[in-house]
Amino acid sequence: MAVERAAGGSSLIDVLDRVLDKGIVIDAWVRVSLVGIDLITVEARVVVASIDTYLKYSEAVGQSVPVARPALESRPYDELAAENQALRAELSSAAGSRQAVARRRRPGA
Amino acid sequence: MAKKTTKLKARRAIKRVVPAAKTATKAPREKAASRRATDESQVAVAESLRGKYVYCVIQSADSLKFGAAGIGDNGSEIHTVHYRDLAAVVSDVPLGILDSTRENVLAHERVNEIVMRDHTVIPMSFGTIFKTRDDIVQLLRSAYDAFGDVLSKMRDKMEFGLKVLWDRDSIVKDIEDEDEGIHRLKNEIALQKGSTYFARMQYGRAIDAALQSRSERYGSEILDRLRDVAVASRINKPIGDKMIMNAAFLVSRDQEAAFDMRVKSIAAEHEKLTFKYTGPWPPYNFVNIRLKLERV
Repeated sequence: MAVERAAGGSSLIDVLDRVLDKGIVIDAWVRVSLVGIDLITVEARVVVASIDTYLKYSEAVGQSVPVARPALESRPYDELAAENQALRAELSSAAGSRQAVARRRRPGA
Repeated sequence: MAKKTTKLKARRAIKRVVPAAKTATKAPREKAASRRATDESQVAVAESLRGKYVYCVIQSADSLKFGAAGIGDNGSEIHTVHYRDLAAVVSDVPLGILDSTRENVLAHERVNEIVMRDHTVIPMSFGTIFKTRDDIVQLLRSAYDAFGDVLSKMRDKMEFGLKVLWDRDSIVKDIEDEDEGIHRLKNEIALQKGSTYFARMQYGRAIDAALQSRSERYGSEILDRLRDVAVASRINKPIGDKMIMNAAFLVSRDQEAAFDMRVKSIAAEHEKLTFKYTGPWPPYNFVNIRLKLERV
């Protein structure tokens, strides 16, 4: 069949396939935090967790693992899970106390 | 009525201002006196705050503009934020979490394509907003070496997508005609009286195996034909049962025409296959830089 090249942005599926988890990826929790946390004050900083470039030519179809899922970090799962839980707790307690403030003031408003 | 509006405002304040631990632990007493005033000013601040959305990172010491093509209703101005010879391509957006709507996602891609015309880009994944210009400078500074290294590896290279699909039924028909064993099995099933269960099982397995090997043969043949016009390739999982190959190729700018011609001639040789050929893309499939936040 004859084939014509289509511009990248012409297929939403192709775009989604790429932009959601490839290229420079900042994890979801960080994405939320960036909007709230001041990087330039000393609260937090962005660090590079991993860099991968794929500059090999595949030898055969079906041999390579799914793209953009390299081993994330060498830290053990338990440690990450614990950190995740701690962060969640922190988030929910922060949100909780705000809601409490909102609830308390309603009767007087 | 008054009750309602304050409640609404309070909710909005919660939603838009991400609760940093610090704010939450502030003594409620401190707030009590001017609670209303604080809340209202917070809402006002949240609404007037603009953040910077990052599309990609390029190499450039000069400040650049790429027109009003950014995310948002009015197409905000695309500009750059610099650290040494690196630049983040950004535009102003309201501070908050950005939904991955069709418009937003396509705008992200569109800006990357505009920038790519004259620059090598490392694309950012969708949806990263920083509070201030200084935060982005901080990002560029902390990942300076990583970005510089990847930019030099990607210099003057672009990604192209190639998906290959087939019409499964017509291929099955071909296999039945060409493969003697399968042909015989099929006849047996048609002629056999009584249970054909075993023969049908055998037939199904034979067809699956034949389809598998045929799709692999097509795949490696196509990969071989493109090897000398591409720098690298990545094979992704096919989507759906009609797709037999879902690949991305990294191609040098000076080989773009050769790659293009080769794809077209491969497609012309394969009557039975459908080719979906896209690009140029930023090198999404060839770069993966993961960033995380660390408390200091």
